[in-house]
Amino acid sequence: MLKTIVKKEILENIFSYRFPLFALICVVLIPLGLFVNNAQYAKRLKDYNEQVRLADEAQSGLKIQDLMAGRVTIKGFRPPSQLSVFSQGLESALPAYYQFAQDGFSQGESSSSDATLTSTQGKFDFVFLIQMVVSLVGLLFASDMISGEKESGTLRAMLSNSLPRDAILVGKIAGGYLALLAPFLVALVLGVMLLLPGGFPLFAGDIPARIAVMAGAAALFILIYYVIGTMVSAMSAKARTSLVTILLIWSGFQLVIPKLSDMAAALINPVRTDTQVSLEKSLLINTLETESAKELGREYDKIFVGKSGQDAANDQNSPEMKKWAPIRDEMQLKTRENKAAQLAAIDETFLAQQRRQRKLAAALSLISPSAAFGRLAADICGTGDLARTKYIEAVRSHQNALENELFSKVKRTLMMHEGGRTTMMFSAQPVDPKKLPKFAVKPASLGEALKANAASIGALLFWLITPFAFAYVRFLKYDVR
Amino acid sequence: MPQSNPILKADDLSKRYEDGVLALDHLNLDVRGGEAYCLLGANGAGKTTTINLFLNFIPPTTGTCFITGIDVTKDPLEAKKHVAFVSENVMLYGNFTARQNLDFFAKLGGKPDLTKEQYYQVMRRVSLQEKAFEQRVKNFSKGMRQKLGISIAVIKDAPAILLDEPTSGLDPKAAEEFLEILGELKKEGKAILMSTHDIFRAKEIGDRIGIMKEGRLVMERTREQLQYEDLVKIYIDYMKSEPLTA
Repeated sequence: MLKTIVKKEILENIFSYRFPLFALICVVLIPLGLFVNNAQYAKRLKDYNEQVRLADEAQSGLKIQDLMAGRVTIKGFRPPSQLSVFSQGLESALPAYYQFAQDGFSQGESSSSDATLTSTQGKFDFVFLIQMVVSLVGLLFASDMISGEKESGTLRAMLSNSLPRDAILVGKIAGGYLALLAPFLVALVLGVMLLLPGGFPLFAGDIPARIAVMAGAAALFILIYYVIGTMVSAMSAKARTSLVTILLIWSGFQLVIPKLSDMAAALINPVRTDTQVSLEKSLLINTLETESAKELGREYDKIFVGKSGQDAANDQNSPEMKKWAPIRDEMQLKTRENKAAQLAAIDETFLAQQRRQRKLAAALSLISPSAAFGRLAADICGTGDLARTKYIEAVRSHQNALENELFSKVKRTLMMHEGGRTTMMFSAQPVDPKKLPKFAVKPASLGEALKANAASIGALLFWLITPFAFAYVRFLKYDVR
Repeated sequence: MPQSNPILKADDLSKRYEDGVLALDHLNLDVRGGEAYCLLGANGAGKTTTINLFLNFIPPTTGTCFITGIDVTKDPLEAKKHVAFVSENVMLYGNFTARQNLDFFAKLGGKPDLTKEQYYQVMRRVSLQEKAFEQRVKNFSKGMRQKLGISIAVIKDAPAILLDEPTSGLDPKAAEEFLEILGELKKEGKAILMSTHDIFRAKEIGDRIGIMKEGRLVMERTREQLQYEDLVKIYIDYMKSEPLTA
């Protein structure tokens, strides 16, 4: 019996005017989106390789004088994600590179500086199509599933037979969903095949698994919207009422809730701007270095007194110099450690504030299944919040590595003496620029992406089970007259 | 000749809707195999409510419906195996062909293994034009739809057939053809319960005719009794009479 209903539902959908329209949208837009994004990815990859090459060249040609003058900044670039072809996510919003200097790291410009106004409303990619187009079609397909059959009277005809209502509901959902899924899957396969001539590494590493998981998540997302549409249809007596309700739900889920959640999170957990943090750090550095310079000047003046002291200062083997060197090193180490600790605290506080705000926004946005799917898909594609976290982790780790391998090799001793006289002394250990560590971002594994998105997956399951339960309960008592 | 055991039986059946309207008031009726029972009455008299109760589309407030002795409320799925339903506007899937519609409803009616030729035979029996068999139903006239509707009932081969104003809107020729088919089904021993506004068709097909008013069965006549009475006059008199609740 279930098979009969499923078959009928598939045929009914296929014979409807909506089906060829939807199939056309899928078969044209999904492959086109993938093709265009693959071309853009190839361009970004080329740019990245060129920028890394130039940065490596600049790093190899580092001069000790530049280091001593504090003019050295090293750039670390983030490689574009291969799967950004499917989900752009934060790909163009993340900084294209970070700059590393003795005073810490700072972010470079994002790659979205050439973005158009329309592109800021969502990039035209596979996930966007699922979120905005397929979800709406799914809702529309389901909108008259119950109420439409009631209006046409076919529901009465069905229920005049020995047919359990739950079988009708499950059969209708399964049949309608399969009719919806088929063109989507065909379009996805076509799109993926279209990537191959463009050099997309389809079978490299865990890419096939990631694409399969994302396709599964997309299939689940479409089912969710279909079930939500069914629920609305089962709660409405008229197809027109279903349609209006469905459009309201869609706009709420797609447009309102995700943006409101960001706004609410910003209100509840405000975060300082990058500029404010940067100014605070500059002020701190300035204060600490001035204090250190004054202290060093006082100690220096105590040891190197009078003309004999000046002579001793010029003699590296003088007893005064032997006394001064460890005192200076200890004071500088203390200052460096103090500065590093305080800067790290500022960074950590700032990052923690950002994390809290993002977590809150993410949690609030889970009210929308679309946002939950978007987050999951972006993390599977390496363009989501997890990619940002991994990027920051890599940046901090690289800063530490450069501190040990490069920045600590050069010591600048600034001293402020009594009467306002200022002196600066330099010392440097040899550095081989070619042996400096290379910046690399370790991408999150598929397992990490799924683990980080447990809440999103939970939200998706909630949005599948709850509307189905409502539709089920409502349909059992649905007035078919 | 009607059989002795009732196939359809309403036992003290009442229905009061949530808004307080008493749509059916202690109805008692039975329809035997080979018998056609026509329910006449104005809109809101309770005819369609009676059919909805037999199909378990709504639960009764009091009383019981039986189909082949099975309590419809207690075991609706079993009861519905023994009844076919034809409504005023036969409900079909417009994008399906006549045969696809027949195939779908035949399977729901418990006939999963019928061949294309068997479907054609049934459609020929109800005088549906041959060329319409594989045409989409959305282009069918009302008469064609009614014929297909009755072919669904025929193919289910249930002992009881419920018809809710099936000749409403049909032209005289189509209505006549429709009644001919009903007559054949009656001869096969089916119990037919038909609600209608059409006094002439009711008199033509009905072995018994009941007039409903405000949810009550206010009059019942057999075909034999009506040979000596004017059904039209009786019907109009009842319709003009004072409200029962007054």
